[in-house]
Formats: sequence, structure tokens, C-alpha cells
Amino acid sequence: DSHIQYERVGADVTMKCGSMDWDAAVTWTANGTDIDESHLNGSYLILKNVDLSQSGQYSCYEGSSWHLKYQTSLRVGTPPKEPLLMCRSNNYPKGFYCSWHLPTPTYIPNSFNISVIHGTKDMVCEKDTIPKNRCHIRYLQLFSTVKYKVTLTVTNALGKNFTTLTFDEFAIVKPDPPESVVAKPVPNNPRRLEVSWQNPSSWPDPESFPLKFFLRYRPLILDQWQHVELSDGTSHTITDAYAGKEYIIQVAAKDNDIGTWSDWSVAVHATPWTEEPKHLTTEAQITETTSASTSSFMAPPTTKICDKGAVVGSGAMAVCWTAGLVVAAYSVLFI
Amino acid sequence: MAAADSPSAALRRDLCSRGIRLAGKMRADVVDLLDAYVEQQGLDASASVAAVEGVPLAAVERWDEQTGTQRLLENLAAYRAFRALLAQMLEEQREQLGEADAGLGRALAAVLLQVSAFAYHLEELLRLESRGIPGAEEDGPPPPPRLSLFEQKLRGLGVLRELAQWAVRSVRDLRQLAKPGPATGAAPGLAESP
Repeated sequence: DSHIQYERVGADVTMKCGSMDWDAAVTWTANGTDIDESHLNGSYLILKNVDLSQSGQYSCYEGSSWHLKYQTSLRVGTPPKEPLLMCRSNNYPKGFYCSWHLPTPTYIPNSFNISVIHGTKDMVCEKDTIPKNRCHIRYLQLFSTVKYKVTLTVTNALGKNFTTLTFDEFAIVKPDPPESVVAKPVPNNPRRLEVSWQNPSSWPDPESFPLKFFLRYRPLILDQWQHVELSDGTSHTITDAYAGKEYIIQVAAKDNDIGTWSDWSVAVHATPWTEEPKHLTTEAQITETTSASTSSFMAPPTTKICDKGAVVGSGAMAVCWTAGLVVAAYSVLFI
Repeated sequence: MAAADSPSAALRRDLCSRGIRLAGKMRADVVDLLDAYVEQQGLDASASVAAVEGVPLAAVERWDEQTGTQRLLENLAAYRAFRALLAQMLEEQREQLGEADAGLGRALAAVLLQVSAFAYHLEELLRLESRGIPGAEEDGPPPPPRLSLFEQKLRGLGVLRELAQWAVRSVRDLRQLAKPGPATGAAPGLAESP
């Protein structure tokens, strides 16, 4: 006759060997290993201040015959703490879902019960099979000012706990992030990147419930983001990118009228178009060229750093001037 | 596509677009007014207000199944009711505070103007579809029983909250109306004349 026994971490546990008398000669095993007699009080097994590692199969055998007299599965765990509950509508106006989890594990099985009330009306939250800590509700009404009240109760063999969430229809609307974000350079445009994306596939009716978007982008070498809010369309051209720099770009979505912004989309990387260099100029070539000249200064060939589009903002002229000075200095040294 | 390019379809889309902008602006102003009202009247923003008689509820079942005509008629009835309710609130405000709270009074008056304008806009849409415009009840609903000051404030809260919901609903309704409807005029577009 097998049993399951749930005990709290830190509890003192006494196990009786079935119907055997206290003074009967018995042997206890834990997961097949004999338990030392020091843990016995007569035929009772005493476990003090149990911890998780003591979970297992405990068996009691009659002393001489080795007949199995009692068996139990000890599960050491904790009563549930207040669960964490969140509700969200990523498919407005169809409905919303609630999902939950425990802040710390209990190490024993838990059952969850969720109730949803809208005004005086009880609503059914249909549990998802995957994931199993989630359920969804179809909206029966739209545009209601009456709040929804969701109560989640978690119960296990050692106790129960609950939490309640109250919200109105608009507040929990949060789309999934935009999908299929693509960023491409624009040919012959060293400061542009073309970004496009799609509405999240979970948003059921973008025509009637249009989304607006927030784009953020920055070169990998900088920490500060640029932001652009777009009230329609699913594409945008960045026109102030730093030439030649790799960018990271993300997009978020929000219903045009209600709710909150989605999480950021998966990041995409792109580098604006750059012109193929006409001459490859290395320091060695500059040095060789200038050391061969004894009486004249040779102007450096056009280098990329003096290219107007290839430098950072207003520093363009300063960089060109500096490059000229450096090369001039080299030339003077070797005349 | 020929129907979508017809002058009346283009006009309908134009009226719907303008209506959406009007409703969007109205909602933004109502939300600001709601914040100011809660603060000035010393109310708790999270207080639940039971449905008040005469305040049209924005809540609707099977919203997506409504015909275009239903949408317009329900919207028009609602905004006509809000016009009367806001006028009453303005009157009560003046009685309570006189000139002491002119800012709130001005904000209420501005929203009342927008509600009236939107009601007129809805009438235009109905005319476009050769729909008879239901006559406004000359005397409106029967005057409500005299409320205490606190009850007036709570009712005002209920009116503004419901108006904010209606403004969102109206935007959605007009977007549905702006869609090219099927020839038979079944939901969600505008139904054809019988």
C-alpha cells in the first residue's frame, strides 16, 4: 500500500511502519538504502528538520521476515508564495490572456485556479495546453468602462496563496513586437538606410485597429539612440546615418489610440552604402614616395578620410586639414 | 474598385477621415478635462462609478457585426445625449463655483463645442447615405431629480469617463465606415437603402 506524504522544509517528520507495534523490530530504507537505527524511535522513523534532499521513497520491513510493511513517498517542499500574475491583450479586440508563475519553486505539485469577473459577470478563462500557466478570454464587450478583476489562487498540499489584478480594457493592450524587420543600405547614398517591417502576426485587424511605430537606431560604436515615431506605414528611411558605420536598429509597435508600447523587435544590423576606394594608400607607400623626393613636395593622393561623406558631421573639414598637415610634415622631414 | 472611386465613396472616406481626426482631438481634450475634473472636484481617480441614468454607455457586444448605419445612429444618439449632459454640467459648475473655477468651465465648454461639432459631422455622414436623421428629442430626457453636490460630481465623473470611451469607439466606428463595403452593404460597411 503506497502513500505520498508532503512535508514542509524544516519540519520534523515521524513515520509509522503501517500497523506494526511501536516495539516491533523493523528496518527502514530510504531509496533502497538502510537507514541507521539512530533515526528510529522504536519502529517509528524520526526525521528532524527535513530538507529537500530527504525527498524519496521510504520503506519499512518487518525485522525477521523482511516483509514490506509500509511504503511512502516523502515530498519535501514549501507552501506557495504569492503568485505573479500578468494579463495582456496582444490581439485586441479579440481578447486577452493572463499568465502566471510562482516567484520561488515549491518543489511539490501545485494547482492553479483563475477567476475573471467583469462587473457582475463571471467569465471563463480557457486554459492553454502550452504553456500550461496561461489562459485566454474572448472579449464579450468592447469599450466598457467597467474594470476586469482577475484572481489567481495557487494551492498545494502545504498551503495556498492568491493574487488579484484589476484593470480596464484599454490598459492591458500591448501588441507583440513588429516582425521581419529588415534594414538595407541605399545605393549611392552613404548616409541612408532603408528600414521596413511587418505588423505582428498576432494583431488580428491592423486595418481597423492600426498600429503606430517607434524606431530606434544607433551606430554600434555609440551608446545613444536616435528615435523616430511613425504614425503610419511600415517603412522608414534613415537619412542621417554616419557613413561606413554599422548600425543597430529596432522597432516597437503600439495601437494608435490605446494601450502601451510593445517590447522592442529583434535587432537588425546594417551599414550604409560606401563607395569602393579608387586608390589603396598605405603609410608605407606615403613614406616610400616622400623619401624618394629630394626637392619637391608631393601632394598626397585623395584619401578616404577627406571624402566629404565619410567623416563625422561638422568635423569633416578639420579631419581633411589635419591629414594634409600630417603628410606635409612627413614630406618636410624627408626633403 | 469602381465603387471605391465613386465621388460618394471618396466623400465618405473624406468625411470619415475628418471625423476620425475630430474624435481623436476630442478624446485627448476629454482625457485632459477628466484629469482636471478629478483634481478640482477632489475625487478619487480610481473610484468606481455606477452606471448613471441617461449617460450613454460605450460598451457594446458584437461590435464587429454592426452595420454602418447602426454605428452612425448609435454614435449620433450618444453625442446628442452628451451634448445635453455637458450643458447641464456646465450649468451646475457655474452655480457651484461661479467664476472661481473658470478654467474648468472653459475646458467643459470647449469639449461641449467639440461634441456638438461631432454630432453635426455624424448627421452629415447620415445625410450622405440618404439616411433619415432621427429627430432630436425637443425636450431631451426628463430632468433628473436634484442631486446633492457630491452626487453631481460623481455623475460628472461618469459622464466624462463614458465620453472618453465613446471617443475611442467613434474612431474605430469611423474606420470601419471608411472601409470599402461589400455591394450588399452588409456589416461592416454601410447598409444600402431598402
